[in-house]
Amino acid sequence: MFARIYGAATLGLNGHVIAVETDISNGLPSFDLVGLASTSVKEAKERVRAAVKNSGYEFPMRRLTVNLAPADLKKDTSGLDLSLAVAILVSSGQIPEEACEKCLFMGELALDGRIRPVNGILPMVLEGAAQGMKTVFVSRDNAAEALLCPDLTVYGVDTLCDVAACLTGEKPLDAARPEPLAPDQLDYDVDFAEVQGQAEAKRVLEIAAAGGHNVLMIGPPGSGKTMLAKRIPTILPPMSEAEALEVTKIYSVAGLLGKGRLLQQRPFRSPHHTISMAGLVGGGSIPKPGEVTLSHHGVLFLDELPEFPRSVLEVLRQPLEDGVVHIARVQAALSYPSRFILVAAMNPCPCGRYGFDEGCTCSDSEIRRYTHKISGPLLDRIDLHVRVERPAYWELTARRRAEPSSAIRSRVLSARHRQQERLAPYGCTCNAHMGHREIRATCQLTEAAQQLLREAFDALRLSARSYDRIIKVSQTIADLAKEPVIAKDHVAEAISYRNKMHQP
Amino acid sequence: MEKNLLGYYGEQAALAFVRQEKGYHVRCCNYRNRLGEIDIIADDGHTLVFIEVKTRTTGSYGLPCEAVEKRKRRQITRVASAYLAQFDLWERPCRFDVIEVWPGDNGQPGIRHIAHAFLAERR
Repeated sequence: MFARIYGAATLGLNGHVIAVETDISNGLPSFDLVGLASTSVKEAKERVRAAVKNSGYEFPMRRLTVNLAPADLKKDTSGLDLSLAVAILVSSGQIPEEACEKCLFMGELALDGRIRPVNGILPMVLEGAAQGMKTVFVSRDNAAEALLCPDLTVYGVDTLCDVAACLTGEKPLDAARPEPLAPDQLDYDVDFAEVQGQAEAKRVLEIAAAGGHNVLMIGPPGSGKTMLAKRIPTILPPMSEAEALEVTKIYSVAGLLGKGRLLQQRPFRSPHHTISMAGLVGGGSIPKPGEVTLSHHGVLFLDELPEFPRSVLEVLRQPLEDGVVHIARVQAALSYPSRFILVAAMNPCPCGRYGFDEGCTCSDSEIRRYTHKISGPLLDRIDLHVRVERPAYWELTARRRAEPSSAIRSRVLSARHRQQERLAPYGCTCNAHMGHREIRATCQLTEAAQQLLREAFDALRLSARSYDRIIKVSQTIADLAKEPVIAKDHVAEAISYRNKMHQP
Repeated sequence: MEKNLLGYYGEQAALAFVRQEKGYHVRCCNYRNRLGEIDIIADDGHTLVFIEVKTRTTGSYGLPCEAVEKRKRRQITRVASAYLAQFDLWERPCRFDVIEVWPGDNGQPGIRHIAHAFLAERR
């Protein structure tokens, strides 16, 4: 007897509906699983057999052939267990086939028939809904996540028994209901009001948040670089629905989605400097998302930038430029989105005092070796370089609270709003994402601003990319000032934030 | 007791068991070809049963049924396929059983029947 049941698997960030076809026939008893199954899927044979038996159903000891279609797609998930078990119960006549029409089954089986949660539910249910599925059975822990897809009836189930009883009509289940969501709250336990002084650094971070530009903070140890970076999420605009869905998908696939809610806060990732290349951009024989992808639509903070291996930093070039990483490995070649704001922090020299305080003990060659760990092309992609000075004593002890994050955020929001209105026809959301074409079409400079830019281009020997990037930053400064045209002052400020290292 | 004699004793006990207790129709005993041997082949209704008999006098080497390891299962599978091919029985449902036999205290052999003992082993 033949049965076809639908399960799902993920490859990269995309869900795929997998048809689990089973056939029971006469002949020597066997259990064959075909259709490019990885080890974790092959092991499903043993889990499914035990789970079916321990749930009080009969495992057909006959010639059992299971095919996972499409057969050319590598399946690497334990989430096919449940669909496999249901398919076997249907083809052995223990569950009516009609009951499983347009149903999607996802879950890992325990040997006693309990159903365990799996990763990547969100992309899988979205794909299922797109392919016309109506009902989805998942582990109770995955139900909230599956409900993020509004077009499906979701059953959160505990055991294989529950699923079978529901399908045979013995014991109907209640569909899972979305929990009433708390109103959109963006609570942070840090605030810019706690940072005294640092006016220039705060200004730069505001520009970065408003336009999505990359920042490098240079300063002596203990001057507050890390403290400032940790507060960047508090001034970023909230994610749009589409952005939130995209980020939630990434975290779902990576198995980092805790409660199965749509993520509201922009991600803030701060990997340690011992991270490997694969950890940063993604890797594995079937590539998994790395830190650049996990910080998509958010912030990637690299503290102590020169301590990162140079080879690791160089792989950031493609994601910084294109907003996407293409990773090709033996099993699969995948693309992951990686549009993040890079925020980096570093000391000016190994002892940390050069150029800021008296008493730097480093030799010239040591300083050069330290700063040259970061390549010119990478620095060229960082638009905003800012010196973070040690705060003065009177600043630290001042009673007056600094400007709170909410005030900065409202300015950022209005600047983003101006950008979105201007860039909507081009499919960009902020200035940093503009390409050359968009810059040509939307950025207007005054005569004086053009004059200044021309002089700077020759005097500083700017690259074509730098030229574009200066205009983008100027545009953001103009947006913050609510000016429709880029003026000379805006360009001057943007140029002042250019790369100050590697210059004679 | 000698090795082959013990095996013979076990097979006779198992044969009597499936005939009298289970009511199977025994098609063949010690079916043998160049690939190996199957102790008992019987019909349980419409189902064809391939039975491996394991006899042990002591428990010191584990349970008798544990002695049917992967290599043995693969061998039985091959012989069974050859049997199905020889008599053109491919459309019959099949089963692999193991029967454990051990000498009992009162002269009666102890017998344990494991139906569906294993699946066909092809690798």
